Amino acid sequence: MSAALIEEFGRGDAREREESWRYSKTALRALSQQDFVAADTDAELPETLRAQFDWMQTRGRRVVLVNGAVSERYSDFADVGAMVTVGETGGTYAVRIDGGIDGPVHVVYVSVPSAQPSRWRASTSMVVVNGSARMIEQHLGVDGAGVLGSVRRRIDLGEGARLELVSVCDLPESASLYRLLDVHLGAKATLRATHVLLGGRLQRLDMQVELAGEQARLESRGVFALRGRAHVDTHLDVRHVARDTACDILWRGVADQRARGIFHGAITVAAGADGSDAKLSNKNLLLSAQAEIDTQPVLEIHADEVKAAHGATVGQLDERALFYLRSRGIPLAEARRMMVTAFCREVLDGVADPDLRERLAQRMHAALPVEE
Amino acid sequence: MMETTMLKIENLHARVAGKEILKGLSLEVKAGEVHAIMGPNGAGKSTLGNVLAGRDGYEVTQGSVSYDGKNLLELPPEARAAAGVFLAFQYPVEIPGVNNTYFLRTALNAQRKARGEAELDSMQFLKRVREKLAVLHLKDELLHRAVNEGFSGGEKKRNEIFQMALLEPTLAILDETDSGLDIDALKMVADGVNAMRSSERAFLVITHYQRLLDYIVPDVVHVLADGRIVESGDASLAQKLEDHGYAWIAERKLAGAA
Ligand SMILES: Nc1ncnc2c1ncn2[C@@H]1O[C@H](COP(=O)(O)OP(=O)(O)OP(=O)(O)O)[C@@H](O)[C@H]1O
Ligand SMILES: [Mg+2]
Repeated sequence: MSAALIEEFGRGDAREREESWRYSKTALRALSQQDFVAADTDAELPETLRAQFDWMQTRGRRVVLVNGAVSERYSDFADVGAMVTVGETGGTYAVRIDGGIDGPVHVVYVSVPSAQPSRWRASTSMVVVNGSARMIEQHLGVDGAGVLGSVRRRIDLGEGARLELVSVCDLPESASLYRLLDVHLGAKATLRATHVLLGGRLQRLDMQVELAGEQARLESRGVFALRGRAHVDTHLDVRHVARDTACDILWRGVADQRARGIFHGAITVAAGADGSDAKLSNKNLLLSAQAEIDTQPVLEIHADEVKAAHGATVGQLDERALFYLRSRGIPLAEARRMMVTAFCREVLDGVADPDLRERLAQRMHAALPVEE
Repeated sequence: MMETTMLKIENLHARVAGKEILKGLSLEVKAGEVHAIMGPNGAGKSTLGNVLAGRDGYEVTQGSVSYDGKNLLELPPEARAAAGVFLAFQYPVEIPGVNNTYFLRTALNAQRKARGEAELDSMQFLKRVREKLAVLHLKDELLHRAVNEGFSGGEKKRNEIFQMALLEPTLAILDETDSGLDIDALKMVADGVNAMRSSERAFLVITHYQRLLDYIVPDVVHVLADGRIVESGDASLAQKLEDHGYAWIAERKLAGAA
């Protein structure tokens, strides 16, 4: 069974799959020892959960998938405008945008447990032919029996197109999620992606980005903030294929209690992608002796005149700073929270919409691990 | 008139990183007094400040510290702050990403809350900030930056005194706040301290230089050497030290013992 999940969620040959799951093999094996039933796609969403995604700003532009299937009942796509076409073909739910749109498209994935452990799968695609678009992706779950969801997603940006993607994955400890995000950027296209990962029994994000057209640009911001026994494994794989392409990756990680975080960031500059610019910064903070974070930056360059910089660290809260805050009267838990928030701040600075940024900041502040 | 004892340190022994630094230090400070502490490098002056403020890793092995009649040593640092203890750091810490204004407001309100006082709203807080900024001639702009980040050495020291002015402690320990200050800044810091002197408040001023004590005239001057107070006197003691150096104390001790 474990082998089956690795096969389903792995890419490449057997050895590559083993390698890419090396830090999460045990977690995946534990998961696959369950007998899953198909998750209920007609499940009722509790009011408290609906309140978490029913944002004023995205009414009329929201798709809700319940256990992987688009829900007519909870989606609200009345206001989306002529530039956007949505529809399902061959089991893939597709959003196509041709021309600039004002408000963000809001895609919500909800995991709702059944009486027994259950599974769902979804396949979606987003194409921005031209213009600039914004998308908010939200993963939520209801606590209960285990749910394992998997999402395969493709994003295609045409020449000069621009997409700002903000993705928040806020799962209860009973939910697991595998995500494969396959991104293809045409000439002068820009993707600015911000990922916020909170909680989950096993969360895996595979993000593959191909900078296929000249001057394509990826800005990837991300943070995981984990507590309890959460396990988050993030794999970024960026390929510079065309000339003068750029990537700027800035990720932060925080783990407390017995949580486990993995960041793997690989950048390949292929032969011929001359003049490319690759930047990767990954910093992590361990808040407890039982928590663990592994970071693996990998840089491979086969082209000429490439600018590349990368750095990765795992550290602890600065005790001197903590004492300084406390000596001014700030209680330990609050002092830690302030410092952890500060540590993650840069990630959210990339979110252009101030309301959304504030929403994320508050959610993160509440979720941040601050155990004493 | 009997003044009340605010701080009473008796036979204090403390270790840092397994090494005994304070070796039986005793000191008594009454409300309203300013005590200067001088002494050679490495004598244990900052250690004393850190022990009083409650820093982790400073292990008290013997002796006692009472503050306002309470056992100070059993309180966590934040409770000591709320009880009125303030340490101006010899080396103020830079905290990237934590906004200075937010920090100050959180600190002030946390202390007020701990004391059962009403928290200040942002209007009340800003009013208070403006008043105190003026005294220290600090640029507004520093408030919008991260705590101490990129502050010059002198700005950091003035920021400590600004925090003291804002938090209004009853026992302020100033650890070499004068080091690295230009002459004008030194006067501003002294003005800030003098403006706060009152019959309810006491100061422990750690310094290497007579100059600060020309502006903040102390009631008592102590010499701390090798983890102990070895000499105490009035303000003129500072001048004698300036003239003769610490060797003079050692010689006098020897002469006394003979
Ligand atoms: N964290 C520490 N680890 C190891 N040794 C320490 C530590 N803190 C202080 N010490 C040692 O304790 C002794 C006293 O240090 P302290 O900072 O109290 O001196 P001081 O009197 O303030 O000196 P100065 O005038 O140079 O500021 C020194 O020998 C110092 O090296
Ligand atoms: Mg010192």
